[in-house]
Amino acid sequence: MSDPVFRGGLAGAKAIDGSISVSAIDDRGMIDLRGDIKDKKFVAATKKVLGISLPAQPRQSVNKGEVTALWLSPDQWLITCPRAKGAHLANGLQTALAGIHSLAVDVSDARSIIRLEGQGAKEVLMKGAPVDLLASEYTDGYVRRLRFAELAAMIHVVSSDPEIIDLYVFRSYAQYAWDWLAATSTKQSRLSLFANQSIASV
Amino acid sequence: MLEIKCPVCGVVGEEGDFHGGGQAHITRPATDNPANISDEAQRDYLFMRHNPKGLHFERWRCDRGCGKWFHAARDTVTNEFKAYYSIRELPPVELMKAATGSWAEYFKDKMVTK
Repeated sequence: MSDPVFRGGLAGAKAIDGSISVSAIDDRGMIDLRGDIKDKKFVAATKKVLGISLPAQPRQSVNKGEVTALWLSPDQWLITCPRAKGAHLANGLQTALAGIHSLAVDVSDARSIIRLEGQGAKEVLMKGAPVDLLASEYTDGYVRRLRFAELAAMIHVVSSDPEIIDLYVFRSYAQYAWDWLAATSTKQSRLSLFANQSIASV
Repeated sequence: MLEIKCPVCGVVGEEGDFHGGGQAHITRPATDNPANISDEAQRDYLFMRHNPKGLHFERWRCDRGCGKWFHAARDTVTNEFKAYYSIRELPPVELMKAATGSWAEYFKDKMVTK
């Protein structure tokens, strides 16, 4: 029998180094977790397997070691971990959650992740999202699902200083999002409209 | 462009982040036997909608956010959102009282004072 070979939605994409650096993250496992945060059994079981408490507050994330829990909705989280451990972790969750009204599915192939790094990353995203990413809540760990370049996307502010933002899009949109970012993150297209006002030398 | 606040997750976003779900509080005729539903009741359920100038009650979905449905009261003249409330609830009593026309007719026996 042949072994399944994983090929990410952006396999082979060469990192872009323009006004910011844009690169694909292909080695991350993702688990879709749903359940009732008010159910003590659900909270205890997930904490036991993941080693972290799920964020109950909207648009927050919790990270410990290799595992991160991103808030998706009041009853849904995206658990990220190294890809090689995704299936194992999903199995662990399914076992621990047996009998509890919940759902844990390995969805590592569903989404592609693009990492934006460098001063101005938020401004590049803001060209395609009707959101003020320079507002104070967009700080370390903040998660928001939003419309980006007309796609259903999600951003995770890994770090706000220096700016590191992970952009999650559905896999079939990955190439489009990538091309969009390639076009809008060139050095020539840098904006200085927001935050630190300075007249760029042209 | 409207600015909308989702009462479930609290996010404030522009209209494109949300999905309008049409008129709120449409009740399907309840019955054990579909044959017992009159043509008029079924017609009203499927097709007859309020179309007020002024206060209106709608369903919206936090489409690109938390994905949950909610209710909103909006003024169709000024586009001002008067209230957001749960998909499981009727509007706040003061808004039910403020409703006019066919909405007032709909709410008149639904205002329960606690």
